[in-house]
Amino acid sequence: MSRDRREWKTRDREREGSGTVPGMSRRTFISGALAAGAAAIGHGLIPGISIIDLAYGAESFSFAWISDTHLYPKTLNTRFVEKAERAINDVKNMKPAPDFLIFGGDLAQLGDPKELQLGAELLDQISIKKHFIPGEHDWYLDMGETWGKMFGKPPWTFDHKGIRFIGLDTVSRGPDYWTAKKMTPAERMGHMATLDGSVAGPWAGLGPEQLQWMAATLSNWPKDKPVIVFSHNPLYEYYPPWNFWVRDWRQVHEILRPYQHVTNIHGHTHQVLYNEIGSMRSIGMLATSWTWPYPPEGVPVLTIPMVRVDPGDQFDGVGWGKINVPSSGKVAYEYMMWRKDVYAQSQVDSGTGDNDNQVLSPRVADRP
Amino acid sequence: MNSQRFRTLIILAVAVVFVMSLPVVTQQAQAHKAKHSPEQLKAFEDLFMEQVRIGDLLFHGDAATEKKMGTNLSKTGMACAMCHPFASDTHPYEFPKFQEQINKFSTLRDMINWCIEKPNEGEKLDPDSDAMKALEAYIYWSNRGSKLAPGTH
Repeated sequence: MSRDRREWKTRDREREGSGTVPGMSRRTFISGALAAGAAAIGHGLIPGISIIDLAYGAESFSFAWISDTHLYPKTLNTRFVEKAERAINDVKNMKPAPDFLIFGGDLAQLGDPKELQLGAELLDQISIKKHFIPGEHDWYLDMGETWGKMFGKPPWTFDHKGIRFIGLDTVSRGPDYWTAKKMTPAERMGHMATLDGSVAGPWAGLGPEQLQWMAATLSNWPKDKPVIVFSHNPLYEYYPPWNFWVRDWRQVHEILRPYQHVTNIHGHTHQVLYNEIGSMRSIGMLATSWTWPYPPEGVPVLTIPMVRVDPGDQFDGVGWGKINVPSSGKVAYEYMMWRKDVYAQSQVDSGTGDNDNQVLSPRVADRP
Repeated sequence: MNSQRFRTLIILAVAVVFVMSLPVVTQQAQAHKAKHSPEQLKAFEDLFMEQVRIGDLLFHGDAATEKKMGTNLSKTGMACAMCHPFASDTHPYEFPKFQEQINKFSTLRDMINWCIEKPNEGEKLDPDSDAMKALEAYIYWSNRGSKLAPGTH
């Protein structure tokens, strides 16, 4: 039996309410049951709810996440603009209003100042406090110059209602693949903007200085109080060929390990994604622009796959995220996907349904 | 020799000449008359991989290759690889099959053209064009480790 089929059997048992299964925590069991229940009830805009323990939150509040808008200039592509606008309108209409918005990177597609400016103008419609972390698409045309001027440079940290928040830069420290080859800025950006390209290499990472900064930032924070870390890339090794990781994830985990309630919320993967490693929960958020398929291997066992997306509907499979922090200390994250069913109910309708019989090879045309 | 016999001999002679001339006329339609040499196999592979490379570049929206091939695969900035990194989820091994959004029994080439026209808003390809064959070569090559499963979904 393939790994995927084993997982589906596991998930079937989980949904039937037969209790937890080996390798599945109670927390994830709650998560899965709620997700399936919510989908069945058909909440429309709020279909997927998962809950994770995050004790000691002093006061209830919520915040919103938008990422991966990948804006081109309006003259080239209006679809991505329409989808970003829809997410922004949804956030504007949240009642009660969220305390703040996190923008999780890849505002632009090719780092063009026009694209970044367009994104800034769209996001200006949201009046609540906004915090920004960059994606690789925002950075590699001018090495973050425009981004820094417009949105400031991470890392950053702040405390809010009993939680320490950290925003990381996982994109700016890629290996220099452009100088020796005398690439133009546009060529450098083009390679970085190709998810399955090999030229930019393992570009995702924090780097030694930022690791030290994170350790120092957390050093005065009690180990039993919650920490939420925002990053563009996932902070574990998911699928390195597409930089679905940070290359120094081991050092990241070393620093975070003593803290009992760590949640990483990340973008870049454009898909429903959940993992737990030690005391760290990791939640992958949706893009507003388009979905990435699940890679042929490495999908965390704790992830309940999202539905297979309809490529004929530009609003399918994409959306934004809402994170509720009630005073009870449980944090609930909601995939605000613009469709009724978020999670696949069977393998054939799953975003990983093809993985069973899908053996892929890296591309050839960008090899020397 | 009577005339009937003479006519038969003439017909036979013409037939022999015709048959002997066939290897010249239809030379390119024949194969496997001689053992393949390593050089010949290398040439076949090189030819195939060149098509894979062209398809890879088209699949990734390379402007120079598009110009060279005379294609306009996207008007939105979207490239095939943006939804299909490593040609994932193209599942060429499932074709031919009933394809829901096309609402007919479809080939991989039909599906490639649907993606060009709908999500990419580009200009569809002649199914027998060089660009289509190159795209097909890249997609098949990328998925060559998968099992054939025609008709599945």
